[in-house]
Amino acid sequence: MQLVRVLNYIIEKESLSKWLESLSQKSTLVVPVENETGATCFEEFNGQSLFLSGRTDFSAKKFFLPTNEKMFFFRKKTLSYGISPNFPKGRLIAFGVRACDTHALNALDHLFIKLLGDDCFYSARRKNSTIIALQCREACSSGFCASMGCSKPTGHDILLAERPSGFIAQAITENGQTLLSAEFFKKTQDPFPEPSLECSKGLSTSGIEENLYANFNHPIWKKEAERCLSCTSCTEACPTCYCYSSSDCFEFGSGDSSRSRERDSCQLLRFSEVAGQHIFRPSRESRLRQFVLHKLSYYKKHFGTHLCVGCGRCIDACPVKIDITEIANKIQGDAKK
Amino acid sequence: MPKKKRAGAGQKPIPKKKHSAAGKEIPMPKKKLKIGFFSLTCCEGCELAVLDLEERLLKALNYIEIADSRLLLEKPLSKKLDIAFVEGSVISKHDLDSLHSIRERSSFLVALGACATIAGIPGIRNSLPDYLQDKIKRNQIKPMKEKAFPISAFVKVDFLLQGCSINEEEFLTFLNRFLHGKTTRLEQIPVCFECKHRQNSCLLLKGIACLGPVTYAGCNALCPSENAQCIGCRGFTDDANFTALDSLFKEIGLSKEERHNLFTYFNQLPEELKEFAKENSGELPNQLKELAGENPKKKIDLEALK
Repeated sequence: MQLVRVLNYIIEKESLSKWLESLSQKSTLVVPVENETGATCFEEFNGQSLFLSGRTDFSAKKFFLPTNEKMFFFRKKTLSYGISPNFPKGRLIAFGVRACDTHALNALDHLFIKLLGDDCFYSARRKNSTIIALQCREACSSGFCASMGCSKPTGHDILLAERPSGFIAQAITENGQTLLSAEFFKKTQDPFPEPSLECSKGLSTSGIEENLYANFNHPIWKKEAERCLSCTSCTEACPTCYCYSSSDCFEFGSGDSSRSRERDSCQLLRFSEVAGQHIFRPSRESRLRQFVLHKLSYYKKHFGTHLCVGCGRCIDACPVKIDITEIANKIQGDAKK
Repeated sequence: MPKKKRAGAGQKPIPKKKHSAAGKEIPMPKKKLKIGFFSLTCCEGCELAVLDLEERLLKALNYIEIADSRLLLEKPLSKKLDIAFVEGSVISKHDLDSLHSIRERSSFLVALGACATIAGIPGIRNSLPDYLQDKIKRNQIKPMKEKAFPISAFVKVDFLLQGCSINEEEFLTFLNRFLHGKTTRLEQIPVCFECKHRQNSCLLLKGIACLGPVTYAGCNALCPSENAQCIGCRGFTDDANFTALDSLFKEIGLSKEERHNLFTYFNQLPEELKEFAKENSGELPNQLKELAGENPKKKIDLEALK
């Protein structure tokens, strides 16, 4: 339930970790941290130091769409079947989710709950989750969220903004209000800051879905595909890439089996393989084009929104620096000539 | 209380329900699947990796029987085998003869590990300079060929289990699927895919040359997760873009020799790299000499080799 009257609260920097600790006792709390390899990502909170200076390298997607998840099982001995015992239970709180990621979750909600007729695994996770969004102070180096209209968070429960002394908080939903306990939060009359982000990258989105589709054979696809390694870094870093494949696995000898789904990627050669071993997108060029067009053209044409939230993770993650905005802007520029 | 009559004694047999296996044991094949392990030129590490399964291997022995293994048995228990797992690459006449006899004995042949699938570590000799080649030849008992080869160069191989050493989970999955009459296939997935799932920061972006984008996944990105570059022990995917990766390595600042050495660490050069190898074949001894100049210890070693 959305709150009618939104109040502002403040929390001191010192009490933030105490608040997070109290949240983590009742539910699973995921926070942005820097992991051992130096990548920034979301992990379960156990008192680590937080990474709050910008958008993380990996989004919180894996807590809503795990890379590998058992769906249901068959028992041959008892001829029974049922939904996997790992069915998501319990409350999930995601802290420090940026505006782009809240839009990404919205896009996934639209797909998995509305279009796919309520995917029970996704919606069980999503309906039992609380999103604590964190406002960006500055634009990140490769983001273009302003162009995609995703620079202001949406669908979150609490919004936080960093201040020199602490954080200013706003409960947007009733769900969020219950988490702002009086022990740590004090009411304040201070206005909520509204920073204006100026992204260094931009994308002209007017008519992009038609222009990209019309330039299906533009030379830039071939040119960029020469560099592309098909390493799937872009799709796996993307907060809205949801493709999965399903497979059966057997327990040794007992005849019990289970079906699980794993993340898949359109950049893989076998992604578009069908019975008879025909591959619809054998060339690297066609796979790269599929990624860009799915984000910026097909989805908009069919369902009314872009699947890209402008977080710029695909640009940062790409080892050969293929840039989705460069491709789109080049085609947009050529189309307007 | 009267004793219950045993079912079947003096009673009509209960008609069997069709299409129902409820309450019954699973009809597994009565005969155990006969498997054998064979080692050509290698370290036998892949067989050890299988032994690392420990309890789960014992559980699997309800369904399989190890009928031939130099490491595990005194003498072979059976001539005919259902599956032969062959590790190691072919570098001598002896290797080749035993490989042919293994193929004849077995109905299914699986190449086990990097040496058998892509020539692996023994294959390093393929791109060694001449004077080192000579040294190897002198020590070898029965030299057959100039080079080391994967077993698929000589016999029909039905499946590959890759890696140095193999992933024992993958071995078990393969065996399990085989028992259920299912085929397994090589997924054309690069290491990067699994590396990203583990949320590692990219080594290529840090300026470390990594073969992740062109190497088969299945190891769960073991090396990159420990900040070590992928050296391609699981072989190159069909979909690998070598030209792009090679020019990326160039940007990172690798010399021709370094790039060549990295690509050929485990793998034989695929078609796209063959030309590259031709260009560089003359420079390889120089690279070793350079190294020798920088490192006095290495210099002594090299002199000794000559």
